[in-house]
Amino acid sequence: MLAKVRRVEHIMGFPISVDLRDGDAASHAAVDQAFEWLREVDARFSPFRVDSEVSRLGRAELGPDELSPDLAHVIDLCDFYEESTGGAFTPRLPGRGFDPCAIVKGWAVQGAAELLHDAGARRFCVNAGGDVVTFGESEPGVPWRVGVRHPERADQLCVVLSLRDGAVATSASYERGDHIIDGRTGQPARGLLSITVVAKDLTTADAAATAAYAMGVEGIGWAAAQPGCEVFAVDSERRVFRSPGLPLAG
Amino acid sequence: MKIHRAIPIAVLSIAGLVPLWRFEAQPAATTEVAAEVGVVPEAQTQTTSEPPASSTPNDSGYGAAAPTTTTTAPAATAKTVNGKLVKTVHGDVQVQVTFTGGKITAVKFLKQPNTGPTKSAAPVLIQETLQAGTAKVDSVSGATQTSEAYIESLQAAIDAKGN
Repeated sequence: MLAKVRRVEHIMGFPISVDLRDGDAASHAAVDQAFEWLREVDARFSPFRVDSEVSRLGRAELGPDELSPDLAHVIDLCDFYEESTGGAFTPRLPGRGFDPCAIVKGWAVQGAAELLHDAGARRFCVNAGGDVVTFGESEPGVPWRVGVRHPERADQLCVVLSLRDGAVATSASYERGDHIIDGRTGQPARGLLSITVVAKDLTTADAAATAAYAMGVEGIGWAAAQPGCEVFAVDSERRVFRSPGLPLAG
Repeated sequence: MKIHRAIPIAVLSIAGLVPLWRFEAQPAATTEVAAEVGVVPEAQTQTTSEPPASSTPNDSGYGAAAPTTTTTAPAATAKTVNGKLVKTVHGDVQVQVTFTGGKITAVKFLKQPNTGPTKSAAPVLIQETLQAGTAKVDSVSGATQTSEAYIESLQAAIDAKGN
């Protein structure tokens, strides 16, 4: 048994922490591969890099049969959530290029976590700028404890969740301002201070949280109805709504 | 005033009902129905739709919605609200929610497709007061941070402390 690993790198403009509690040389080496994958995703999918696949698609330089399988999958996910939210979530805002960042983040970090798992790691937690993937338990018999940041107090938590093999994502405007636009109105999303979604994987949790935030108050019920999703939401009147199956820590 | 507090829950419940049809395989005609699903606020309920998103998305057909209508029952404490008519590829869906004393006491489908989970209930949400506090945690979920904001965050303290 090797020592535990804890590493933080800044990729895609946010910090990514890996907290690996077990594993052998192979799984420890996979931490490097996981960060390498995230840097590759940044290069290929960033709309802020002129030579990325996403930027080329935005300039119509890629035909439908020239899309990589990864990009085609990301576009499918974007289309699913755009349709499912009645257009509240959209990667195609008027006046902007194609921007799938909201979907890419969760999908990319889930992929990094699966790289670690495939290499043999069984107890680890990845936190990518506030989105969390857990595998296994923090210690044998002890689930991971994931706090949700209070929407108005940066040094406080508003709930603690208990996770084994699950993911948590939160959408809110307190870090980056009104960056989530309701595609139906073209205006910044209103109605929620924050919404947190727990799901089996971070692809689902992150996409559902972002899409629900774009929808506003009706996004709470929408997210709760997504298969396998549990919800914790704070509306603009500071009322909390949570789904009955939310895994609260005791 | 009790009614007013309850309305957001009703809206959420109605919104939650609609996706239940969206993953059904067989298109079907719409019929007028009156299937009681018996939702109460504290009930533990589950949806039965298929797994979502990370697989290939299904087709669905959101259409325009009719205006919401409201009728008040004779008893002063009971109120019935009809949800929007929502068009899906499998037919029209419309629900009616009855409040009694500010609580949801019944949900009725006014319209639903012939096929589909007729006994499924909306995810009923629990309403609570916002708490603030500290606790020992392994990780912190929050809105996507900038690398600058991370330096002063709870997660940075957790990472710095190590195991």
